[in-house]
Amino acid sequence: MDPPTTTTSSDPPPSNLTDLTPHYTFPPFFTLQPNLTTRASQLSSWSTLIQSYARSSHLFSLSLLDALDSPLFHNKALGRRLSARDARVVVDWMASSEGGGRAEWKNRFYIFYRRPEEWAEVVEAWVERTGQKGTVLTLYELTESDAVSGEEFCGMPGELLGRCLGVLVKRGRAQVFGEGGGEGVKFLR
Amino acid sequence: MGNSGSSNKISAQDRAILDMKNQRDKLHQYQKKITVITARETEIARKCLRNGDKTKALLALRRKKYQESLLSKTDAQLAQLEILTQDVEFALVQKDVVFGLQQGTKVLKEIHKEMGGLEAVEKLMGEGEEARAYQREISEMLGGAMSNQDEDEVEDELDALEAEVSGIKMPDAPTQKLPENEVSREDNAKERARRRREEANGQAAEPMLA
Repeated sequence: MDPPTTTTSSDPPPSNLTDLTPHYTFPPFFTLQPNLTTRASQLSSWSTLIQSYARSSHLFSLSLLDALDSPLFHNKALGRRLSARDARVVVDWMASSEGGGRAEWKNRFYIFYRRPEEWAEVVEAWVERTGQKGTVLTLYELTESDAVSGEEFCGMPGELLGRCLGVLVKRGRAQVFGEGGGEGVKFLR
Repeated sequence: MGNSGSSNKISAQDRAILDMKNQRDKLHQYQKKITVITARETEIARKCLRNGDKTKALLALRRKKYQESLLSKTDAQLAQLEILTQDVEFALVQKDVVFGLQQGTKVLKEIHKEMGGLEAVEKLMGEGEEARAYQREISEMLGGAMSNQDEDEVEDELDALEAEVSGIKMPDAPTQKLPENEVSREDNAKERARRRREEANGQAAEPMLA
């Protein structure tokens, strides 16, 4: 797993957090509200904020422990932070069907600002656009090589990539083969 | 075994290409590692120099130099591997092209066979020519047999045209005598019809006399 410091050290400045949602400067936003209606809308706002944050800082997953100190959950200017328990509630809600399955707990929290099947479409569109249908690609090259350096899925964790390729395989659009860390994928015409 | 159908799409060549690409990826990773190491050795050398330990700094720089030579070697290997991979992929494309050409030729040949060869086409053209000649004969035969009325109309039109062409100098048409004209034209028509009938009879009669 990644060293625990990655999330905080590699965080870009939170200049855009306020732009992402106006709630970010609203102190009560950092305490989960007991009123059920308020709470529901608060949870959905948090979900949107986390997704936008993950997207703009190109994060595929969060470690809750690190994220609690990051600007996402800790508004230093306001002197407010989301407690560990509340953050957990928020992410659990995102993972639930009610929250649209926008997160998933697997050692870390995967934040799906795109769900695996949506990622699958992004990857497939790239393959189509670059004329690589019918070509054999390694999974490594799909996320790490120079060819994808400007793409949104660059640096995607292998686990997530595996899942979105699984979606494509199920649809008959790709074939994954090879074994032992040297898997490749062939996108079918 | 619902999977067997789709896994057939992976050929032995695909696997070979994957192996090569995996090898390339490994070299890539190796290069990344070396780059990190060289950066670290430089850092170490700098630190040692700051502490006044020149020999250690030298050692670190030597290690760095060695790693850099490795880097250039892997670069060459990487290039070779990539060239080979691209050659294989290009050969596959060529194979597809040849296959396409084969299919095209086969279809073309089949179409030719359906057309029945050169002689059949020649024969067909001959027959077509004959049929056209026959048609021409029929048309000529029928062409003579125009009805009197048609002929009249044609000739009337010619008269009208002539009148128009030469009539530019005659501005005033004799409007008052119109009924008379009508009659005389009718006479004219009758006269011409009679003449033609006689002519036709004369022509038809001639061969019989001869």
